[in-house]
Amino acid sequence: MKYFLYQLKKHPLAIFGIAIIIFWLLAALFGPSLMQFTHTQIDSDFQMARPGEEGHLLGTDSLGRDILSRIIYGSRSILTVALLTSILSTIVGIILGFMAGYFGGKIDAVFLRGMDILMAIPPLVLSMVVLGILGNSTILSLTLIVSIAFIPATARVSRGVLLTEKSQEYVSAARIRGEHHLYIMFVEILPNTTGPIIVEATARFAYSIMMVASLGFLGVGLQPPTPDWGMMVIENKPIITQAPWAVLFPALAIASLVIAISIFSDFVSKVLIHEQ
Amino acid sequence: MNNNILNIENLHINFDTFDGEFSAVNDVSFSLGYDESIGIIGESGCGKSTLAFSIMRYLAKNASVRGIINYKGENLLDKTEREMEAYRGNRIAMVFQNPESSLNPSLTIGFQLDEVAIHHQKLSKAKAREATLEALEMMNIGDPKGTARRYPHQISGGIQQRICIAMAILCRPDLMILDEPTTALDVTTEAVILDSIKDLRNKLKMSLIYISHDMGVINKVAEHVVVMYNGEIVEKGPKHEIFDHPTHPYTRALINCMPRGGVVKENTKLNTIKGYVRRRGSSEKGCPFVERCDKRNDTCESLYGMRPISENHIAACDRAYATDVPDLIKKKTTPTLRTTPINNNNDLLQLENLHKVYGSRRKIYAVNGIDVEVKPRSVLGIVGESGCGKSTTGHMVAGLYKPTKGRIVFDGGDISIAWNRRSPETLKDIQLIFQNPGRSLNPSHTVEQIIARPMKLLVDMPDKEARKKHILQILTKVDLGKEYLEKKPRQLSGGEQQRVAIARALSISPRLIVCDEPTSALDVSVQASVLNLLNDLQLDTEAAYLFISHDLNVVNYISDYIMVMYAGKICEYGKRDEVMQPPFHPYTEALLSAMPEVDPKKQREVIELEGHLPDPSKKPKGCPFAGRCHKQVGEICEREYPPMVRHSETHYQFCHIKYPSE
Repeated sequence: MKYFLYQLKKHPLAIFGIAIIIFWLLAALFGPSLMQFTHTQIDSDFQMARPGEEGHLLGTDSLGRDILSRIIYGSRSILTVALLTSILSTIVGIILGFMAGYFGGKIDAVFLRGMDILMAIPPLVLSMVVLGILGNSTILSLTLIVSIAFIPATARVSRGVLLTEKSQEYVSAARIRGEHHLYIMFVEILPNTTGPIIVEATARFAYSIMMVASLGFLGVGLQPPTPDWGMMVIENKPIITQAPWAVLFPALAIASLVIAISIFSDFVSKVLIHEQ
Repeated sequence: MNNNILNIENLHINFDTFDGEFSAVNDVSFSLGYDESIGIIGESGCGKSTLAFSIMRYLAKNASVRGIINYKGENLLDKTEREMEAYRGNRIAMVFQNPESSLNPSLTIGFQLDEVAIHHQKLSKAKAREATLEALEMMNIGDPKGTARRYPHQISGGIQQRICIAMAILCRPDLMILDEPTTALDVTTEAVILDSIKDLRNKLKMSLIYISHDMGVINKVAEHVVVMYNGEIVEKGPKHEIFDHPTHPYTRALINCMPRGGVVKENTKLNTIKGYVRRRGSSEKGCPFVERCDKRNDTCESLYGMRPISENHIAACDRAYATDVPDLIKKKTTPTLRTTPINNNNDLLQLENLHKVYGSRRKIYAVNGIDVEVKPRSVLGIVGESGCGKSTTGHMVAGLYKPTKGRIVFDGGDISIAWNRRSPETLKDIQLIFQNPGRSLNPSHTVEQIIARPMKLLVDMPDKEARKKHILQILTKVDLGKEYLEKKPRQLSGGEQQRVAIARALSISPRLIVCDEPTSALDVSVQASVLNLLNDLQLDTEAAYLFISHDLNVVNYISDYIMVMYAGKICEYGKRDEVMQPPFHPYTEALLSAMPEVDPKKQREVIELEGHLPDPSKKPKGCPFAGRCHKQVGEICEREYPPMVRHSETHYQFCHIKYPSE
C-alpha cells in the first residue's frame, strides 16, 4: 500500500484517472437517490431544455427526460456489465490459457486454433450478431456475450505468462516432489502471474465499456427504458442540431470513463510489471 | 597528478529509491596512470559496477553523483550528455559481463563493429570494415572475415566476448573498463580471454580498469588492486602488497574463503564471512564492514579511517591484526570429519549406459553413454564445462527427464523414468538443489510453506505442531532462525535463499541429493559458508551427494569421487586424489591449468584450449575432445573412441595415450 502511494506520487496523471473512476463508482452507487428527477420521468413542458434550465443541470432530451439522471443511472448498468465482463473473461481466460500452456502439445494446438477462429471474427460483430439473434438484451446476456468475445485475448495473455513461469525452476522443483498438475498451475504459478493478468483485466475493463456503449449505439444493447450511454447518443442523434447537449454529455461520460480506466491500467502496469 | 589518465576524487553516488536514499559509492578516490591496470574487487552489491558506470555516465535517473572524475585533466561530471558522446566508446570503452546481451542479435557482427568506427571516427564504410577486421584479428579470432558475416547467436559465448572486446578496442581508446567480462564464461575460455587482454595491453598501451569478484582473475590482469566493500574502498595498493600483506579483514577473508590450491574437506574448513552485505543509507557513517568483521574491537568506531600501510598501500583498518600471530592468514578451523567410512560394497545409485537426446527433428546429443556408480554416504563430484551434459545427467537422476537410453538404478530398483511415474518413496529419496535459489523457490510462498510442502506430500506427518517443530529444527541446521518462517524469498539474500533450498531438500531426509551447481550463483564468501554447510550436513545426515559444478576447486573440496565430463562422455573417473594427481587426462589437465591462482608467485602455464565444443547435434565419433586436445596422439583420436585405461581399481580414463604399464 505504501509502495502504491509512493508510485502514485511519481505519476500524477494516475491520480486524475483514479479520481474519475471513483467519481463514477460513487455516482453509480449513490447517484440515483440524490437526483431530483428519475431517469424515466418525462417532463413534457421542458423538452430539449438547455443545461441548467429548471433544475435540469445537463438539460433534457426530446421527450423531456433529465440527461443528468439518465447518465447517472446509466452508469450503473454499464459499470456492472463492464466489471462482470472483465472478471468473467479473465477467469475463463486464465483457466483456458493455463491448461493450454501447461499441457502443451495437442491440447495447446487445439486451443490456439480455436482462439484463432474466435479472433478472426471482430468482437463487436460477433456480439452484435449474437445479441441481434437473441433479441432483448439483458445485463446477463450482454455480459456473457462480451466475455466470450474477450476470452481469446485474456486466454492468450494468461498462456503467455504461464509459459514464461513454467520454465522457472520452482516449477521443476514442484514436479519432482510429485505435485498435482492443478496444484502447480494454480498454487505455484498463478500467484506469480498476477501482475500481467491484472493489467490485462483492467485493460479489458476499458474495452468492455467501449463495447457496451458501442452495442447500445448500434441498438442491440440494453433495452429501454433502462438508460444506456451508447443508446442515449443514438436516440438523441436526430436532435443534435437543436439540443447538442443531449448527445454531447453521454458521449463525454463514455470518453471520460474509458480514458480514466486506460490511464489507470497504464499506471497499474507500471507499478506491477515494469518497476518491480 | 598530471601523469594519470584518470583521477577519481571523493566520489559519492546515492540512489533515491522507495526504501529511502541509499549510498552505492561512498567517498571513493583512486587514480590510474597511463598504461596501468587496476583491478576493482568486491562482492555483489559493493558498488564496483556503479563506480564503473558513473565513469561512462550510464547511471539510472534516480542516481545523484558528487565528486570529481578527472579524465586527462577534464572533469567528466561537468560534461553535457552531448560532450560525453565523444568519450564513450571512443576514448573510454567498456565491456560488459554478458556478451550475449551486449550484441544485437539481429545484426551481423561486422555491421555492429563497423558502426562503432563509422559513428566515432567518421570513417567510410570500407575503411571501417578494415578497422573491424584488424580488431578481430587482434583478438585472435580465426577467420575474421567469416566471423564478421555471422550473427551473434551463431557464435559461442567465449568468442562473443572476444568480439565485444574487439569492439571496445576498435577506436583505440586509452582507457578500457571491463566489468566482470569472464564471469559468465567457462574457466578454459576465461583463461584464453585473460591472456588476450594481456597481449592487447602490450600492443595498444591502454589503461585498464578490471572489475571482478574473483581474486584469482584480478591477480592475472591487474597491477594495482582496489578492494571495495559496501560502496567504500577498504584497501588499495599494488597487487603484490595486497596479496602478500592483506591488511583489511575483508581482503583477507576474500583471499581465504575460496577453496583454492588443493584445499579439501578433510583438512580444512573454509573461512567464511558471517552475515550478508547490507545496503547503507546515505547518511550512515563509520566502518561499513563492522557488522561482519570477526576482528572487531572497541577502537573500531573511534579510529575508523584510511591509514597508510606502506608508500602506495592504504587500508581502512590496521588494528585488527595488531595482536595476531603472523600466520593467522593461514589459520583454519578444524573441519568436521567423517566418522563412518564409505561402504564400498553396494552402490546407492548406478548409471548404466545413460543417454539423453533432446529434440526429435534437430537432435541434440546431451549425454552419450555414461556408466558410473555412487556409493552410499559418498560425494560424487561431476565437473565439466557448460554444455558437457553434467546438469542433464543430474536432472535425469532427479527425475526431471526420462533417459533416452540406458538405466538409472537406485538402491536396486530401476528408476529410468520421469517424475510422474516414480513412486513417492523414490521422489522422497532423491532431492535436487538447483543452481539459482531465486528461481527454485516460489517467490510468492513463505519459507514455512516452501519447507513444509514436501513434508506434507511425501512424508506421513499429519500433526501440524510436529511438522512446525521439525521445520524449525531443519532451519536451525542450516543456520537460519525462527524469524525466517514468514519471510518470502525476495526478502532474503542469495545465500539465505540457498539455505532455504537446502532445508527444503533435507526436510524429508533423502538418501541422495543432487546438487546442481549450488554455489555458482553466490558470492565467494557465501559460497564458502554454503560449502561448509553442505559438507557438515552430508556427514550429519549420511545422504550421498551428486555434486555438479564447473569449478574444479569446489568439486575438489567437497567430493570423495570425481567424474570429469566432456561432451556428454566421461573423460576420467576416480577417487578425488587420483583425479587431481597425474597421470591426468589431457582435459583434466587443461581444466586444472586454467584455474586462476590467488598466490601471485604461483602462476601456472595455462594450457589454452582453442576451438570449441563438438557440435552437439552430431553423433560423436572418435574422442570428443580430440579437436581441442594438446596431447593428441594421432589420427586415431578423431577416428576411434578411446579405450578405458585403468590406472587403479577406482581410477580410469578414456584416452588413446599409452602409459607405461606398471
